[in-house]
Amino acid sequence: MLRLDGLRKSFGSTCAVADLSLELCRGEVFGLLGPNGAGKTTTVNMVVGLLAPDAGRIAIDGGGSPAEASVRARIGVAPQALAIYEDLTGEENVAFFARLQGLSGRELTQRTAWSLDFVGLTDRRGDRAKTYSGGMKRRLNLAIAVVHDPPLLLLDEPTVGVDPQSRNAIFENIQRLQNDGRTIIYTTHYMEEAQRLCNRVGIMDHGRLLAMDTVEALIRDHGGMSVVTAENDAGLCRVETDDPVAELGRLQAAGGLRIFRLDRPDLEAVFLNLTGRSLRD
Amino acid sequence: MYRILALTAKDLRLLLRDKVGFFFTFFFPVLYATFFGFIFSGQGGDGPGIKLALVDEDRTDGSRAFIERLRAAPEVTLVLARTDGSGELTREDAVALVRRGRAAAYVVLAAGFGDRADQPFHGGPLQLETGCDPSRQAEAGMLQGILTRYVYQGMQETFADRAKLRQYLARSMVDVRQADELDPAARAALNLFLPAMDQFLANLPEGQDSLAGFQSLEIKNTDVARQRRGPKNPFEISFPQGIIWGILGCAAGFGISMVSERTKGTLVRLRMAPITPGQVLAGKALACFLTTTGVATLLLTLAAVAFQVRPGSVPLLALAVVSVSLAFVGIMMFLSVLGKTEQSAGGIGWAILTVMAMIGGGMVPLAFLPAWMATVGHVSPVKWAILAIEGAIWRGFSATEMLGPCAILLGFGALFFLIGARAFRWSESG
Repeated sequence: MLRLDGLRKSFGSTCAVADLSLELCRGEVFGLLGPNGAGKTTTVNMVVGLLAPDAGRIAIDGGGSPAEASVRARIGVAPQALAIYEDLTGEENVAFFARLQGLSGRELTQRTAWSLDFVGLTDRRGDRAKTYSGGMKRRLNLAIAVVHDPPLLLLDEPTVGVDPQSRNAIFENIQRLQNDGRTIIYTTHYMEEAQRLCNRVGIMDHGRLLAMDTVEALIRDHGGMSVVTAENDAGLCRVETDDPVAELGRLQAAGGLRIFRLDRPDLEAVFLNLTGRSLRD
Repeated sequence: MYRILALTAKDLRLLLRDKVGFFFTFFFPVLYATFFGFIFSGQGGDGPGIKLALVDEDRTDGSRAFIERLRAAPEVTLVLARTDGSGELTREDAVALVRRGRAAAYVVLAAGFGDRADQPFHGGPLQLETGCDPSRQAEAGMLQGILTRYVYQGMQETFADRAKLRQYLARSMVDVRQADELDPAARAALNLFLPAMDQFLANLPEGQDSLAGFQSLEIKNTDVARQRRGPKNPFEISFPQGIIWGILGCAAGFGISMVSERTKGTLVRLRMAPITPGQVLAGKALACFLTTTGVATLLLTLAAVAFQVRPGSVPLLALAVVSVSLAFVGIMMFLSVLGKTEQSAGGIGWAILTVMAMIGGGMVPLAFLPAWMATVGHVSPVKWAILAIEGAIWRGFSATEMLGPCAILLGFGALFFLIGARAFRWSESG
């Protein structure tokens, strides 16, 4: 569905993206993780055609470049900055961007209604966007991205600043889109979101893709060992192990295991091990 | 084109929802044009002709007859009574009216006016006291001519009535005999003339007026549609200025909206859509063009319906409005690259537009600008915009004469648009 080959982009002497290559399959949710300045936004901007790469090639849905308008019509984008018109109603916002995608007539009406229903804004469709809560604006942002039924979606930090209820609603929307076969690139700071939603995750830093695999494989290969903290007759102990179940068995056998805690490695640990710093640094 | 129209419709909808922007685009120009139209008219449209405060201190049949003749005169509008209805004007009231600009001049019919009017052959000339604002010398000159005309009109009426004239002659002969101070030579001449005149009138056939057959002067007038050198009414000046202020508001508003789209991220989203950058700019330009032409059409319609502003040529006026609108679409594009934020773009934009208006006749009519400023104004699109609109309304421009300002406006528009489009930043990072 999306193929990036040796993508490179520099701004002056600063290399924003260096030799980035990856390939996404149809129906895949791909998480792009990295701190500010890692090159995520530059990558997204190249994929949607806002920036031309200095080198490399982008192929979308069979080979088209996003520099072509017909190829951009196959992409839906929900930018991190809420790109909506506050003085238009939710319905007017969605319909306007649908028209830019070439929708008209009955199709325009139906797709607009579907999008608003999809994100749960049908009841508020006639209200101006400036009266919406932060979470509702994020959902409207998503409705605009999906109104033209694109096979490829780029969701840039879609849950920033939203309440838990809206966040869960957005998660459900993304899972529905995945189930419908959309390919999704999902950038986020939140590890738990990536672990919950993404089939594969790529970790970027300083413009380079440091690792890319399924969440389980990344943790296995780069997360380090699990940590078992336990208290038994011998006192409090802390053990790093590849096999926490076996380690707990050994501690039980040693006698008097009263309490224990198991810390398994996560994406945060993967990121820390790969970059030497926390994702939120 | 469908996508461009969608962009245009969105911008027009946003304009209609922006109450402040809507006010300054549509209502402020109407207020401006109407207010300054009345200010320029000076007398607030009280009536035609010179407004004349008239004081009758004589209160005789002669003075009242003269007032009636003036009241019927189309050249003057008389003010005889106080505005509060408390009585007729006094000399002090009349002077005050002229001082306050409520009347162009005053005239006092002093005591004795009627008697003097009855003594055409002796006793000195008929006297009228007048007072006029020194800054209105042209009206003062016109007033002298008008007063002279209606004094002589009264004399002519008297002379045309044989019986009345014979009464005057009889009374004059008595007066001449009793006038001790009269020059003996003049007395001798009058003693010959007045009886001879009376005898002449007595011998006229019955039914014939005393001045029948007398030909003083006949002026034959032919109406010629002259080329108008000035506006017919002050609204022909104030409405072009109002249109310009509306169009300046449009240019500033749409320029700022471009900056707003950039800072709020919608411009980036537009770029991600399957449309070209040219289509995005075309949508904004079309919205600005439609709004400016809409403002101009609204004001011109109002001017025609409510203030009798009739364009000399409707096709040329349409050409002028289109040229002005296109010029300011270009200027809108230029304004959109002047600031990084809405506030800075608005501040810089309005500063530039205000200077354009100042030197281009947008604040003070072109005709009243000093010569040096009129020359400097050549660099202001506002000057050419007003010239083109006025050219079609009251300056009587031919199609050839209209081409000049319109070509200059289109040149300004193209230049500003190219500069703006070239310098335009699609995202905050540039």
